[in-house]
Amino acid sequence: MTSFDSAPSTLANPDRLYLEIPEIAQTLPQRPFSTPGACWRACLNQMTVEAFLPWLQEEHEPRARVWTSATTLPSVWEFVNGTAISGDGVRMVLIPSEAIDTEELRVPQEWVDIPTWTADYYVSIQVNPDQGWIQILGYTTHQRLKTRGFYDAGDRTYSLNADELIHDLNVLWLARDYCPTELPRAEVISLPAMPLTQATNLIGRLGDGAIALPRLEVPFQLWGALLEHGGWRQRLYEQRQGLPEQWSVPRWLQAGVSNLGQQLGWGRSELQFASVRGMRSAPATGIIRRLEIAGTSYELQVFPSPEASHPNGSWRFELRRLTANDLIPAGFTLRLLTEDLQPFENNEDRATEAVECLYVDVMLEPGEGLVWKVDPTPENYDREILRF
Amino acid sequence: MQSRQSLVEIFSTFVQFNADSFASWTADPKLRRSMQNCLQQSDSGCSRKRFGGVFGRFTGIRVWQGEQESKRAGEGREGRGDTSEHSLSSSSPSPSSSSSLLPPPSSLLSLSHLSAYLQESCYWVARKMALNLAGRQSAADLFQTAIARVNQVLKGFNPQFSSNLKSYAEFAFSNIIKDTLRKQQEADICTDWALLQKTSQKRVMESLEHAGLDTQAIAAYVLAWNCFKELYMPGDVKTTRKLAKPEAATWQAIARLYHSQRLSQLSSAGLNCSPERLEQWMAACAKAIRAFRYPGSISIDKPVTDQDSVDWVERLPGEQESLLTEMVRQEEAEDRQAQLNQIDTVLVDAIAQLDSQTQQLLQAYYGQDATQQHIAQLLNIKQYTVSRRLTSVRQSLLKTLVQWSQDTLHIALTSDVLSSMSTVLDEWLSAHYRRSEPHS
Repeated sequence: MTSFDSAPSTLANPDRLYLEIPEIAQTLPQRPFSTPGACWRACLNQMTVEAFLPWLQEEHEPRARVWTSATTLPSVWEFVNGTAISGDGVRMVLIPSEAIDTEELRVPQEWVDIPTWTADYYVSIQVNPDQGWIQILGYTTHQRLKTRGFYDAGDRTYSLNADELIHDLNVLWLARDYCPTELPRAEVISLPAMPLTQATNLIGRLGDGAIALPRLEVPFQLWGALLEHGGWRQRLYEQRQGLPEQWSVPRWLQAGVSNLGQQLGWGRSELQFASVRGMRSAPATGIIRRLEIAGTSYELQVFPSPEASHPNGSWRFELRRLTANDLIPAGFTLRLLTEDLQPFENNEDRATEAVECLYVDVMLEPGEGLVWKVDPTPENYDREILRF
Repeated sequence: MQSRQSLVEIFSTFVQFNADSFASWTADPKLRRSMQNCLQQSDSGCSRKRFGGVFGRFTGIRVWQGEQESKRAGEGREGRGDTSEHSLSSSSPSPSSSSSLLPPPSSLLSLSHLSAYLQESCYWVARKMALNLAGRQSAADLFQTAIARVNQVLKGFNPQFSSNLKSYAEFAFSNIIKDTLRKQQEADICTDWALLQKTSQKRVMESLEHAGLDTQAIAAYVLAWNCFKELYMPGDVKTTRKLAKPEAATWQAIARLYHSQRLSQLSSAGLNCSPERLEQWMAACAKAIRAFRYPGSISIDKPVTDQDSVDWVERLPGEQESLLTEMVRQEEAEDRQAQLNQIDTVLVDAIAQLDSQTQQLLQAYYGQDATQQHIAQLLNIKQYTVSRRLTSVRQSLLKTLVQWSQDTLHIALTSDVLSSMSTVLDEWLSAHYRRSEPHS
């Protein structure tokens, strides 16, 4: 007798892949969210990633990982559905849905029109939480979503009928080998830069957790620019949960690094300084964060400027190899930017030859924020704002 | 069921059910005229052959697929090939179908002819499935479910690599029916509130349209539904299908959100809506969803009648393997047949290279229609491994097929071509293992 127990006991469609959700992921999220919808979104996405990523790593992309990192995901799920996965030269966004009917792929505009958020592929995934599996329904490309998708201004999504999807995910990998001229991405227009005052105002306004759908409150160009900046997105997320300031470096030095800072890799440490320009200085407490750049480990250190001539409010950012005596290769740059990503005088240090360390000294007003950047870009990099 | 004999009948008549059994072939006058015109225009001597050739070479499908491609924007609302307006139990067109949405007549005509042509394939698949389900679902209902998706079936057909439209259609119809049953069963387990959470926006809108709501009301309901989804969630991951009705406070919050959104989101100010009213809307919405596509639980009280089995046996293999197939065989150039033979050889060789457990897996899945659980037991592997293995072995076979086509046919490969080759592969595997299975 034909059994049709709701899948996967019968695979009605042999071209669809079913994956098991690990037991450990079958729980409601620990991190706070401002609405039940956001919390459930996070839950579905979490289950999807936990089921999909190990399979992807095993079968196709050993170096695939979530973007930007597991820690920043709640600040994405608070606002939109979907999770980006980056591999070697390929990027995809997983779009989970609980819908039984599987009739459409509905992708939030953020994943399609924010330049640093766009992906090559969008994978439609059905989640069955009760039975603990996900089903890969198919995929489409950015190009197709833009040209064939229907844009709904009401909820700011691009949707595609299920029969427009390529159902067999195997085709994705074969197409990369056999159809090299097919370009998955359409052009995306960059969003206008947002000045600090505007961002602060928006965060103040949309930071009210009682506003259930902040993404629809302001025009997309503004919303997109705000969200694209990892530091602002994080702050907006924290404000909506009513969390106190999580990124104050002076407080970290005093009372220890916040949980969130720790999850992103920050820690407090006693730094012993070797000779700086021939002078021996006293040990100081600083914060450190490990960075992986092109397979090598580095350490970013931030501490009150050790040189006696520098007044209060003077800080030093320093980049070193994690292993003592190894050098930073030529071409590396350590750069600091204002919160709204503007450069300023003497804001960077560039290695013209292999050097022991790169450093930038900077004078800051209390409460001022800074964004650090390293070129080449470290793995899992997301803009973060350190507050002083 | 008697087979249709003339070309005119084959391309212009439809199955009529009497309760749950085949009653008669009903002609569609418009299609009949179209066929007669077509035949008259041909030379009287070889008209049959020519016409058979036209369809035999699947020109009809190519025409239809081409038309689909060029009018993607206005996705299919065709009468007989409709994907959205037939429910499991109803074959009458929905009152909401708007003439402006209909495709150009030529496209509708080709589709209708092809739909007529595939009636038997669909009928036998429905019959067989109903028999397997021991009467829990009537053949007539299954037939309607499947034939309503005929344009999906045609869209997936690849004339270049598939051996035969009918065998492909049987494969596709059978998948559609299984898929539909699975979804219906899942929906049956859900409470109304869970169903609301587990329905796509597209389906919600279609259901409301089907229920007769106007555009403005649909927009208001959909907004309310989105507010409901944003403010209500299951309390536990493992029991989402049992989601209970929200508390009064939640309804109030949903109503507040709806009011804050309606000015910006609805073209008219939108209907005023108290929490109580909102609750009624959502209940109505759930009802519309069920009525549209999940109409009623699968009936388990119908006994298997002898009639069913007898009918099934009547369909002797190759009995009237269709005039058309025969003509196709005569007409089709030898190189096409040669090509199909090559595909056979390439895939048979590739399978021979696989380890024996993988071969068993393919045999069990494609040949015996075994469930994943069953295969897992058979091969002594974990249930979820079955799907992963199957995907992985399909990938290697697909790659073989793609490589072969690139080396031999020199066709330009696109994702769409690869995708249709993936379908061809499934169809081929299915046919291959059934051929070699003694009791298929």
